[in-house]
Amino acid sequence: MVDPVYEVLARSALVSLTASLVAATIGIPLGTWLALARIPGRGFVTALVNTGMAVPTVVVGLFVALLLWRSGPLGDLGLIYTVRGMVIAQILIALPLITSITMAAVQLLPPELPGHLRSLGANRWQVVARIWVEARLPLLAAAMAGFGHAISEVGSATIVGGNIHGHTQVMTTAIVENVGRGEFGVALVYGGVLLSLAFVVNGLLASVQQRGGAWARR
Amino acid sequence: MGAALTVRDVRVARGGREVLVVDHLDVKPSEHLFVLGPNGAGKTTLLRLLAAVTRPDRGEVEVDGVPVRRLGLAERRRVGYVTQRPALLGTTVLSNVELPLRWRKVPRARRRTMALGALERLQVAHLAERPALALSGGEQQRVNLARSLACDPDLLLLDEPAAGLDTEARAIFFADLERALADRAVTTVQVTHRPEEALRHADRVVVLVDGAVRQVGTPEMINRMPADAAVATVVGYDNVLTARITPDGAVLVGEWPTGLATDGLGPGPAVVAAFANAVQVGPSGREGLPAVVRGVSPGRGHRVVLLDGRLPGGLVPLVAHLGIDAPAPAPGEAVSVRFDDALSAILRGR
Repeated sequence: MVDPVYEVLARSALVSLTASLVAATIGIPLGTWLALARIPGRGFVTALVNTGMAVPTVVVGLFVALLLWRSGPLGDLGLIYTVRGMVIAQILIALPLITSITMAAVQLLPPELPGHLRSLGANRWQVVARIWVEARLPLLAAAMAGFGHAISEVGSATIVGGNIHGHTQVMTTAIVENVGRGEFGVALVYGGVLLSLAFVVNGLLASVQQRGGAWARR
Repeated sequence: MGAALTVRDVRVARGGREVLVVDHLDVKPSEHLFVLGPNGAGKTTLLRLLAAVTRPDRGEVEVDGVPVRRLGLAERRRVGYVTQRPALLGTTVLSNVELPLRWRKVPRARRRTMALGALERLQVAHLAERPALALSGGEQQRVNLARSLACDPDLLLLDEPAAGLDTEARAIFFADLERALADRAVTTVQVTHRPEEALRHADRVVVLVDGAVRQVGTPEMINRMPADAAVATVVGYDNVLTARITPDGAVLVGEWPTGLATDGLGPGPAVVAAFANAVQVGPSGREGLPAVVRGVSPGRGHRVVLLDGRLPGGLVPLVAHLGIDAPAPAPGEAVSVRFDDALSAILRGR
């Protein structure tokens, strides 16, 4: 049985938006900490994060699948071939990108800003919150990049999700499947719909970003 | 009452080199202290230590007897720090000024009144709703200062707050700052490399050269009796010459009489520091330091005469300011130079 397009689309959006949201929740604080902390080993962690951006999604999918496999260390959780398993894989895919862009965004702010905010009487959390406000535009770009990376990947979605109709099929795996069957027309429809979804989400974020940029230049 | 500051046995090193050494420095409550020094002297480093933005490698900075590293948030909020670069945030001017008050949990209505009051005192209240980052450099500096003043600090640290402004704008800025502080018992420590500002506005001046405190004193004392040649240069003496005091108190530069004499210092090496208007240019052959005129140009209310003093070791550049109506020597003319003792200082040399 073939899933209706809207159902696959909704699943794609759910998986990638959830994964991007969770990755941003972890990646933005992590990137901020890496940008501001003066601790030994920071360079090593930064190198790891940057390497994470270059890891193919199919490799991420392989590692997540090995962990979640029924006989694997987290097999008891029953997450293999589930939407939740796919979300976990996509979090790992989006996380290095969001962390790395956040780090760069915070490092682009005036280096004296944290000390300046402290000298104005901010406590630690107020300093971090203000830094995020000041870097809001690139942080939004980080979230957009994370979402774009997650929704366009096919490797981990295939391996971890299994492309099960009615359960784990998403837009990218549906495209691959239809191309495999020689149904290029259907694949093109899926591709167009996927592009539209990416365009709408990124368009919304970009309009927020542009409004923020325009205000700062006024 | 403003806060008292004590700096004790402080050392700061960068790249294995000591960039700041302060054995002892006290700032009294409500005092206006200026830290004067050339670029790279360690002025900003000292101010950042006082603001607890950085920590010394050794030693202690105390505010009202409490080490700054142990200051709680409430005590830290008694200190205002105005940086050289305004570092305003990407929001409106009013929000910028209100933000530190919000962090201090000042109620909204009172916050607005305090912020607008501070902007008013610095004559930038009309900019309240403008985006802070779109302001000119001078406006940003005023907003930066207003943001610190709004919090009513007991100690205000100012790092060249008028940097980048032209002479006229600086004068207006300092007049406004003076007015804004007039009715407040606030201790201020202000960094500058401009001697005229330190000498005009300070209760006391600390002269910092190469990361070390060379002299601490009243503006009058620093101006009249700089501790050494480096301080004299920082204070703005135009001519600083190696000299010698004879047993009868005469001051010679390269064996030439200078017209100066001292009975306070014993015979030995000395330094003559003379403002340009202390240099008396006379005809060649008159008793004095022989020199040749290198050039003459108009100045503000005077004529600037550049000279090469002829010493046994070589030529030494000299600057003289002559009255605008006084006869000026021609370039290349041989002259003799003496110094007016009322506008010169004789220092112990090495």
